[in-house]
Amino acid sequence: MASFDGFEYEVLIVGSGAGGGMAAHVLTEAGVRVLLLEAGRDYDPGTETPMFQQNHEAPLRGSSTSEKNFGYFDATVDGGWQVPGEPYSEAPDSRFMWWRARMLGGRTNHWGRLVPRFTAADFKPYSTDGVGTDWPVDYEEIAPWYDKCEALIGVCGDNPGLDDTPSSSEGVLLPPPKPRVMELLLKSACESLGISAVPMRRAILTKPKDARQACFWATPCGRGCAIGAAFQTTTSVIPWARQTGNLKIVTNAMVKEVHLDDYGKVSGVTFVNRLNREDVRVDADHVILAASACETARLLLNSKSEAFPNGLANSSGQVGRNLTDSLGAGVSGYIPALRDRPKYNEDGHTGNHLYIPWWDREGQKNNELNFSRGYHFEVGARFSSPGMGIAGAVDGYGKQAKNDIRSNFGTNIGLSLRGEMLVSDDCYCEIDKETVDQWGIPVLKFHWKWSDQELNQVAHGLKWGRKIIEAMGGVVNNPDRTAEEAIEAGGQIIHEVGTTRMGHDPSTSVCDQWGQTWDVENLFIMDGGVFVSNPHKNCTITILTLAMRNATRLAEQINLSMER
Amino acid sequence: MSKFYQARMSRRESIKRLSAMTAVVMVGGVPVACDTAEPEASKAIGTPPAGHWPGIELKPITGPGYGTDPIVSAPTIPWPLTLNEAQKDQVAVLSDLICPADERGPSATAVGVPDVIDEWVSAPYSGQQRDREQIVNGLQWLNDEAQLRFESDFVALTEEQRTAILDDIAYRSQYEIGQFELPARFFSRLRRLVFGAYFSSPEGIRDIGYIGNVPIAGDYPGPTDEAMEHIRQVASNLGLPPITEYVNQQ
Repeated sequence: MASFDGFEYEVLIVGSGAGGGMAAHVLTEAGVRVLLLEAGRDYDPGTETPMFQQNHEAPLRGSSTSEKNFGYFDATVDGGWQVPGEPYSEAPDSRFMWWRARMLGGRTNHWGRLVPRFTAADFKPYSTDGVGTDWPVDYEEIAPWYDKCEALIGVCGDNPGLDDTPSSSEGVLLPPPKPRVMELLLKSACESLGISAVPMRRAILTKPKDARQACFWATPCGRGCAIGAAFQTTTSVIPWARQTGNLKIVTNAMVKEVHLDDYGKVSGVTFVNRLNREDVRVDADHVILAASACETARLLLNSKSEAFPNGLANSSGQVGRNLTDSLGAGVSGYIPALRDRPKYNEDGHTGNHLYIPWWDREGQKNNELNFSRGYHFEVGARFSSPGMGIAGAVDGYGKQAKNDIRSNFGTNIGLSLRGEMLVSDDCYCEIDKETVDQWGIPVLKFHWKWSDQELNQVAHGLKWGRKIIEAMGGVVNNPDRTAEEAIEAGGQIIHEVGTTRMGHDPSTSVCDQWGQTWDVENLFIMDGGVFVSNPHKNCTITILTLAMRNATRLAEQINLSMER
Repeated sequence: MSKFYQARMSRRESIKRLSAMTAVVMVGGVPVACDTAEPEASKAIGTPPAGHWPGIELKPITGPGYGTDPIVSAPTIPWPLTLNEAQKDQVAVLSDLICPADERGPSATAVGVPDVIDEWVSAPYSGQQRDREQIVNGLQWLNDEAQLRFESDFVALTEEQRTAILDDIAYRSQYEIGQFELPARFFSRLRRLVFGAYFSSPEGIRDIGYIGNVPIAGDYPGPTDEAMEHIRQVASNLGLPPITEYVNQQ
C-alpha cells in the first residue's frame, strides 16, 4: 500500500469532477482507500455559492467578462475559456475553445445538469448506420448502471417512450416540474409539425434525498447550489467519500507526469504544488485518471518513457485522437402574441422544463437526410431576472421605448441545437512543442475542422428551428444565417470527449470497456476520454455512469486481492 | 485622477473646419468616411450640420479587474471611475431622456443609472473599453453637434433642442445616414446600457414585473390560471392544437 503524508491508500485518482468524484465515492464506500489529487483549490458550495444575489449586486450587473466568462456569479473558479498562466494553442485554421476550472469538483459545479441517456443505437453507431465505431458495451449492459446512477445523484424527468429517450426503471426518476407557458406553446407548435417536446431530464432534486434538500425553484444552477439540489460532486459524492474516512484530498496539486516502473506498471505521479511551485512525487498501486478528456490525454502524452516514447498507454497512437464536442448552434426569435402576457414566477429549476429530442431516425434509416446522427433542441424562454441585455432589441428612446421593453419581457425564445458530430481524423489534440504553461508543463495544441456532416446537420436544425418558432407565431432573428455562420466553435459546448477511447481492439483504442488501459494494467481512465462516439445527449450522465460501473469492478478486484 | 479629455472652448470652430476640409476623420485611429457636404451650421431645429466625429483616442485602462476568483458573496469593484463631472452630468441628462419617470416606474437617475454607466465604461475589460471609446466620443459628438446647431453644450439645451438632436440618432435606420452612423451607433449602445442598468435595479425589477428569485417550498406551482387561460387563447388564435398540461408518463 502506498502512503502520502501519513495516509495509506490503494488508489490514486487525478481529478474531482464527474468521473473522479464518482470513482472516489464508489471505491471508498467499498472500503478502498483513496488519495484524490485536484489541480484547483478547495471549494465549498455550502458557503461560497451566491444564492439569491441579483445582478445589481455584482460588478457590471453580473455581465460576462474575460475573467468570468459566464458572468460574475458563475461558479467557475480560476478558469473559463482561459486559465491564467495555462494556455493552449490552436493549429492554423483550427478554432477550438477549452473550458477548464481550477476547483474541487471541477466543472460539475456549474454544468447544465441535463442528463439524457444514450440509446441502444447510440452505443452501436457503426452497426446502426455504417459510420464510425461501435462501443465495446451495449445499452442492455449499461442500463442498470444508468438506473443506479440516476437514483444516486437524483434525476427529475420522465419516460415519454420515444426512440431517442430510453426509459429508466420504475421508481428511479423524480417528478419533472410543470412546464411554463412558453414551453406549452412550443409543445403545441411541435405537435402541429409532427414532433415532440417532452420533459428534460435534469440532475435536480424535485424531492428531498438523503441530506440534500429539494430544489426551491430559484437562483440559477450555474452558480452552484448551496443546498445540494442541483448535482455537483462537492455536495454529494465527495463529502460522502470523506465521511467514510477512506479518502484524502490534496488540492492545488497539478499532476504533470505519471511514472512507469521497470515491470511496466504505473508506480505513481508527480504533481506541482501550485502554492509553492514545488514538484511532489507520490507513489500509487493503482492510478485513475479523470482530469477531463483533454487534460488526461495531455498528461499521458507528457508521460514519456523508454517503453512509451509517444506517451504513456499510447502504443495505439490514439491518445489525443478522436476528439469530439457536441455541435452547437442557436435559433432565436420573439413571439408577438405573448406581448404583455400575464406575469407569474417562471424560475422553475432555472433550466428548460421541456426539450425537443431528436425525432427523425426513421428519415435517416430511409436515407432521406444528408447527415448521420441526430440533435436535440434545448429551450430558453421565460421571465428571467433582467440583465444588461434586456434592451438589445428596442429602438428610439423615452416612454415609448421603456414601454416596449416592458411589453416584450418574456416574449423571446431561444432554441439551442446540440448535435452529434462524427469522429474525424481532422479533430484531435497533441502536445505543442513550443509552449509550456506556468508550471513548466507542455500545453495542448488543438486541431479542428468541421465536415459537411456537421454543416448539413446544423442547416437542418436552423430550418426546423425557424419552422418551430414560426409555428408559434414568432418572428425569427437572423433568418438568413447560414450553417457556417451559426455553428459554434469546437469545444464551445464543453462536451469534449473521445481522446482516450475504449474499444475491443488494443491497436485502435486506448482502454478496454472498463477504462483499464490496454498497455498498463494498473492505469485506468474514468473521464469522457473513454467515449467512442459523442451522441448528442449531454455527456456527463454517461461519464458518471461508466465511472460508477468501472470503479465498482476495480473495487471488487482490489478487495478480492486483499482477501487473498 | 487626471482627466483624459479636456473640453475646449474653440471646439465649435475646429469642428466646422474639420468637417469642411476633410473627407475622413479618425475614429480610434481608424479612418472613417464622412459626408463632405459644406457644413452650414444652422440654429433652425432639424437642419443638422454635416458629418463630424471627435475621434478621441483614450489611453487604455490597464488596472486590475476583479480577478478569476473573486469573493462572489461579497463583491467589490477594484477599478477607479473615470467619467469627469461634465460627462457624468451629460450621462444623467441623457439617461432620463432615454428612460424618464412615468406612471409605472422612476427615472434612470432616480435609481442611480449614471453611476452604473461610469462603473461600466471604467472597467478594464475589452468589451467595456470598446464601450468607453464609443460613449466618450458620443458624448463629445453631442456637445459638438449642440455647438454647431445651437452654440451651447448639450446639457444647456432646451428640451426641444435636445430632442431635435436625439431624433436624428435614436433609431437604427439612421445607421444608414452617413453623417449619423457613428452617433446613432453610440446612442444604441448608450440606450442598451441605460435600460439594462435601469431594469436590473431593484426598482426596475419591480417595474418590469419579474417576480422570481424567491424560494418556494414543495412542487413548482407552474403557470397561474390566468396565464394558462391566456396561453390557451394564444394557441387557439394561432390555429395550433389545444394546450394540454403535461401528463407524467412514468
